[in-house]
Amino acid sequence: MKKKILISDPTLRDGNHAVKHQLTAEQIARYAEAAEAAQIPIVEVGHGNGLGASSLQVGESAVGDMEMLKAARRKLVRSKLGVHVMPGFATIRKDIEKAVEVGVDVFRVGAHCTEADVTRRHIGYVRERGKEVYGVLMMSHMVSKETLAEESLKMESYGAEGIIIMDSAGAYLPSDVTERIAELVKALNIPVGFHGHNNLGMAVANSVAAAEAGATILDGTVRGFGAGAGNTQLEVLIAVLDKMGYSTGIDFYKLLDAAEIAEREIMKVIPAIQSISIVSGLAGVFSGFSKHVERASKEYGVDPRDLFFELGRRKVVAGQEDLIIEVAMDLAGKKVSR
Amino acid sequence: MKSSYVMDIVQEDCRNALKRPEVLGALKGETVLITGGTGFMGTWLAEMIATLNDHFGFGTKLFLLSGRANNLSARAPHIAVRPDVTLIERDIRGLMEIPQEVSWIIHAAGNPDNRVYASEPLRGIEVITRGTAAVLDCATRLPNLKKMLNVSSASIYGNQPDNLEKISEGFFGNLDCASVMSSYAEAKRFAETLCTVYRSQHRLPLVCARPFAFIGPYQMLDRPWAVNNFMRDALLGGAIRILGDGQTVRSYMYPSDMAFWLLRILTDGVPGQNYNVGSPEGVTLLALAEKIADLFPDKPRIASHLLPPGKAQRSRLVPDISLAQNSLGLEITVDLDTAIKRTILWNQAQQKLTKAGESKR
Repeated sequence: MKKKILISDPTLRDGNHAVKHQLTAEQIARYAEAAEAAQIPIVEVGHGNGLGASSLQVGESAVGDMEMLKAARRKLVRSKLGVHVMPGFATIRKDIEKAVEVGVDVFRVGAHCTEADVTRRHIGYVRERGKEVYGVLMMSHMVSKETLAEESLKMESYGAEGIIIMDSAGAYLPSDVTERIAELVKALNIPVGFHGHNNLGMAVANSVAAAEAGATILDGTVRGFGAGAGNTQLEVLIAVLDKMGYSTGIDFYKLLDAAEIAEREIMKVIPAIQSISIVSGLAGVFSGFSKHVERASKEYGVDPRDLFFELGRRKVVAGQEDLIIEVAMDLAGKKVSR
Repeated sequence: MKSSYVMDIVQEDCRNALKRPEVLGALKGETVLITGGTGFMGTWLAEMIATLNDHFGFGTKLFLLSGRANNLSARAPHIAVRPDVTLIERDIRGLMEIPQEVSWIIHAAGNPDNRVYASEPLRGIEVITRGTAAVLDCATRLPNLKKMLNVSSASIYGNQPDNLEKISEGFFGNLDCASVMSSYAEAKRFAETLCTVYRSQHRLPLVCARPFAFIGPYQMLDRPWAVNNFMRDALLGGAIRILGDGQTVRSYMYPSDMAFWLLRILTDGVPGQNYNVGSPEGVTLLALAEKIADLFPDKPRIASHLLPPGKAQRSRLVPDISLAQNSLGLEITVDLDTAIKRTILWNQAQQKLTKAGESKR
């Protein structure tokens, strides 16, 4: 019997990072329709940082959360509608309750890899409403496999029905993924998943390593549409998984069609591994920082590569975008004093 | 005030469990203190003592000690306002004194919700360790203490070995004290040790119960246990979601049996003895989900989650209750099917009550 993998597709969420959160309701509807035809099990939709995140600090989205979700909901029948939820951005009453009402099926509640505690109320509320809920640990390369297991156990105890670790910085090598996923599979009694980024060109290889180590949930976006160097490219991942004997239930040709549609109608630029993305992957800094780093480095006349490595040294994480300027100013100061 | 239907279910259960109320005769005219008195267990014990007073003329006075006494006003307001019940709101960790008239103690404080031990293990284990020490200290100063029951937990056994069909009180367990997830169980083990020490050093008459799993009214459906989740999924009209192949085995006791058993262990349990409290009837989680689904007119679908091959969670936790059966004549009077039916009925009545309350606002 073929081993099953549950695919979650955040093209319409992580991809929003790549267009500064400017996806329109029409674009969302168009891709959701194609994803439904391809029988992608979970289609994640929203602002790049998830529900309630649209703001001056991380970028305002072109349309509101509920409008985006409704646009996708109308097109999804067999495919489930998913959202990314980060406590701090998303609140229960203002955001999650409304998302339940517009028909979101799957909530993925994420936190920085050492902050699982903050997800308790959000996970609990989603379970109370009878919806599916997963725990997501972001920037997972920053801590040991043992810490990841402890944080995952917290989320499991809060009611998460699966744990997904994100390689938010695209920093992993396959052996890193194998080690961490194996630890989580051993420690948890719920499914384990992996969300890759492609800064070092390893996203598909890392996702395959995750599956081989026991992960049963994998994320991928068409053309790798996502933050920084992009995500695990879904079409390639499905092809490779199929070749390796895994089953995903996805219609491969229809998926290729969906990718064409997305490329034509959603993407201004197809993600590529730019020099700066390689640096951010090596530095272990959140891919979504690229555009902020480019801006700050121009403004303060510092080398964006230096800025990335310094941010990595200071272990800056998503949500600390304001620190980019501070670090750039520090570097600029050092330059002057030399 | 609670609707009479919600109360009727519980009170009828208590009366049914008291087929032989005379065996609890030692509590007549006595004063009982229950710590953790407003939790699931405390509320059922209070309901049972209220039934003994109302229907069998026991005249037992009850002190319910809790860190959050107003929980009871929300959960069972009819108990909170009874003249034979006194609520004491106090953090058990700092308890200095117990009313001098108390002659029986049931120490049931300590939250078994594993989310507490995931987020705040220190606070959780302090309530158990320091709380138990505080109650024991106070108990040594009581002039007329007849007996104290320490409510421990089946979690102290750790994982039930594959070759063991049922866990008896003589199984010493296999906990990993290096895992933070063991903190509740290890704290409960230490509390048992404390009881052993106080019994030895202060000659306190102490008996211990080790509860397994329960299903019934007053249980909060947001608790992270399989049966609660199945029940909630079904009541919400969605699919019942189950992990893996559903071959994990658990057993569930109805709380009216639980309350009667605990009172009987209190009155007649032998000091120094530990008694398992639970149902010996094992059921797979899949069969349990099906039993719950069958009771709804629009039978909910049962959905299974993907787990890696060979990772199917197939643990087993079923007690051997022959000690309680043979030495105290205790038995299971509510079978699993009846327990599920009554729990659903109670929750449906509760839901209607909540909705009616919301529409009045």
